[in-house]
Amino acid sequence: MNNLCTEIGYHSINKYGEQLCGDHIEVIEQGENSFVMVLADGLGSGVKACILSTLTSKIISTMMAANMSVEDCVSTIAATLPVCDVRKIAYSTFTIIRVVNNEEAEIIQYDNPHVILLRNGKNYDYPQTVTEIGGKQIYRAKLKLELDDVFIAMSDGAIYAGVGMELNYGWQRENIIDFAEAFYTKEYTAKTIATLILDECHRLYGYHAGDDTTVGAIKIRKRESINLMIGPPSKPEELKKMHTLFFSKEGKHIVCGGTTSKLAAEYLGKEVVPLLDYFDPEIPPIAKIEGVDLTTEGVITISKVLENAKSYLDSNEEYMQWSSKKDGASRISRMLFEEATDINFFVGMAVNPAHQNPNLPINFNIKMNLVGELSKCLKQMGKRIKVSYF
Amino acid sequence: MKVTICIGSSCHLKGSRQVVEALQNHVREANLQDKVELGGAFCIGNCQNGVSVTVDGVVHSVNPDNVDSFFENEIKSKV
Repeated sequence: MNNLCTEIGYHSINKYGEQLCGDHIEVIEQGENSFVMVLADGLGSGVKACILSTLTSKIISTMMAANMSVEDCVSTIAATLPVCDVRKIAYSTFTIIRVVNNEEAEIIQYDNPHVILLRNGKNYDYPQTVTEIGGKQIYRAKLKLELDDVFIAMSDGAIYAGVGMELNYGWQRENIIDFAEAFYTKEYTAKTIATLILDECHRLYGYHAGDDTTVGAIKIRKRESINLMIGPPSKPEELKKMHTLFFSKEGKHIVCGGTTSKLAAEYLGKEVVPLLDYFDPEIPPIAKIEGVDLTTEGVITISKVLENAKSYLDSNEEYMQWSSKKDGASRISRMLFEEATDINFFVGMAVNPAHQNPNLPINFNIKMNLVGELSKCLKQMGKRIKVSYF
Repeated sequence: MKVTICIGSSCHLKGSRQVVEALQNHVREANLQDKVELGGAFCIGNCQNGVSVTVDGVVHSVNPDNVDSFFENEIKSKV
């Protein structure tokens, strides 16, 4: 065991005019520290391609997760995929990245652009072997993971971006490597890396993608805990216990909510000093408490964080906003989505009588739903979440 | 004189930001920066009647519509 962990982020754009994507990424976890990610690109586009790639990625990831050999996976796919009526073949490419115990990675690829590995931000040419299975040339590599390794898998839509438009020969693998090396920053998450490359593809295609395009990134990083407390406990006598547990946790501490921060400051014997700077007119200003890394208002701020989280999991469009802004919600978003790998929520269930006003868009149920939904989103980002209620 | 504006959730929804900006402008225009200290507070326990503003410890209920007269009556005339 080591203190490394992996972060996965991916997204696709559909061929212009298509409602379904012919690429598919499937991730299956095997325990906490191992997983298999499969990126498949089905022949053609639309429904047919979508079925082919979904079948391929589901079959391979399930079989690999059950420790079956690549040979078995490939022959199963060959025997299972429906044959295309037009082209009389059943075909889907695939890229498999398998991480074992957060220590070792295995890359198995067939007909997709080869996985790019950035080590310390620079392209690293990993040694590969070629085997032939059922007439298919399969490239395989096995390597030890290092901190900050970034694996970038993509479908061929990425390297065809811009053919005959912005570029003569498309955006070749070397060009993508140059691009990735150029923007590389240690802080970028897997999702950010994937979306940056995908956005560039989209731009090169003139926003009319000629093929389904998918980028999936895996980043190896250190574990980092962040603790977030929101709401006072329902029983006042639990307050001390809640505070003791919260402040004894390793990692950064975020306190959300007016009453919550006042009580936290009392516990620490410090003052809450609210700032009056509105970086975003919608989001109440943050405050400072010595000993707390970030203090913000509660419900409104967290609602915005949830919005950002949903966007992050989808197209990541809000990224340009929250990645740099100084308001409380953007700050929390950066800490939870980018910095943290492990998040502990301390949720107080006291009902704020002022919020039980039918004229206000906030109430107790909304607050509880917010935390529930947010932790669901964060789990989807691959974070380890623990929620404790008081 | 110390004037504290609540920026907690309830008061925020009732217009804290407009009140803060109005008071900041009035203080600047009346040249009272040396005499009036504006600050924020996270919930001063008067949520039902927000936006809560305390002037030297006394709680007032202000809203974006009456903030101008509030400044005249409670701040400007009393410094």
